[in-house]
Amino acid sequence: MSTPGYEASAWVKDCVVEVHQGAGVGSGLTWAFDVVVTNAHVARAGKVQVRLPDGNIRDAWVRFADRERDIAVLDVPRLGLPAVRRRDPADLRPGEVLFAIGHPLGVRHAMSSGILHAVGPLPDGYPIPAQLRRLPWVQADLRLAPGNSGGPIADAEGRVVGMSTMIVGGLALAVPITAVEALVHARAA
Amino acid sequence: MAVTLSTFSDQLADAVEHGAKSVVSVHARPRLPSTGVHWRDGVIVTTEATVRRDDGITVTLPDGRRIPAQLKGRDPGTDLAVLGIPTGQLPAATFGDPTALRPGHLVLALGRTGDSGPRAAFGAVSATGGKWRSWKGGEIDLWIQSDLTIYPGLGGGPLVSPDATILGINSGGLSRPLATTIPVSTVERVITQLLTKGYVARGWLGAAMQPVHGGLVVLSVEPDGPAALAGLMVGDVITSLDGHAVEHPDQVLDLLVGDIVGRTLKVELIRGGKQVRADLLVGERPRRTR
Repeated sequence: MSTPGYEASAWVKDCVVEVHQGAGVGSGLTWAFDVVVTNAHVARAGKVQVRLPDGNIRDAWVRFADRERDIAVLDVPRLGLPAVRRRDPADLRPGEVLFAIGHPLGVRHAMSSGILHAVGPLPDGYPIPAQLRRLPWVQADLRLAPGNSGGPIADAEGRVVGMSTMIVGGLALAVPITAVEALVHARAA
Repeated sequence: MAVTLSTFSDQLADAVEHGAKSVVSVHARPRLPSTGVHWRDGVIVTTEATVRRDDGITVTLPDGRRIPAQLKGRDPGTDLAVLGIPTGQLPAATFGDPTALRPGHLVLALGRTGDSGPRAAFGAVSATGGKWRSWKGGEIDLWIQSDLTIYPGLGGGPLVSPDATILGINSGGLSRPLATTIPVSTVERVITQLLTKGYVARGWLGAAMQPVHGGLVVLSVEPDGPAALAGLMVGDVITSLDGHAVEHPDQVLDLLVGDIVGRTLKVELIRGGKQVRADLLVGERPRRTR
């Protein structure tokens, strides 16, 4: 199915929340009934607050987290939002249009667009510790800023392929959505 | 058919896939490899600044094979280096017309680092213009600047249009912060010289000059240089070179590019109030040893 870009981004936008812990703000995406996923560095532990797209605030709790892969799964009672649609990033081709939605520098639901740079570990020579460099990443040529962390990176049809996590050498790095799936399945059992 | 974001996305991915068939990874420096383009059969072009050694160079082909390559020559002026590999290994690049580029045109930068798939960046042409000279002295036929991010390892890779044709070689070192592209015609000219001589010969007169009213006054003459052999002397005012009136040293530099070494230029000058003519055989600028 083909969609104009604004429709694709509108679908994804409905699945993006703000995650507040202390003074910090990050992004999160709706995963399933009453479940939101975000970065572990956004929701460190215990209780956090989630602001929905309609402005309502919900209390949320970190159900479990994987600090190494920087994923946290939140319980959000009365979330009432649709879950994101997903696509395996292994099927992406470099050059495909991607977009990110999040709250960079506190700007709510801001979209930035670009393309897929590559999928996989980073080449030797990037300024990042080796154990992080060797992890698989969705690498995107698009602009992120603090506040995007935990938010989605989606394809031209609004299917989420990764979770925005960090910027290295100007390159946007996202945890593959398949890694989030793997963690949720392993821990939800 | 309506153009949707999905069809546009597919077109960009197709351009990356096709363009990348002639894009290799070049291992000629420690750690991070750079990118090269299989320009003609058996000829790889990359940026000079990324070739940090003369021997032990290898390239990784799109099919993952890593093979040895020989350095054929380098030209720091245009930031280009040429490597030779056995012929018949991969398709040669397909070229587009960079003179047709206008600000706003969408473009891709491609790279390959090691045996992974291609890497891509996307952006727009930000400025175009005519001939210019790099800060390292090389003459480049077109000014092409884009807002592409030349990520680590993408230097030496191609600028690719959405129809998958290659428009030039992206250089991270010629101009910052925007990406600069060395257009196809300049690459052709430079690699032809590099493949025949191993370096780009630049014309040399062996005289320093500065503008005065009516011409260029000679400030110094290199002993045994071309100007000295032509009989030029300190204090001469050069009014015309090769039939063109000269008022600024840039005009002389513009004359000294291309296939000029060995040509004789007619010089008109004023010495002690009198018009004098001389024949000046253009020499080759002495090359600094690296």
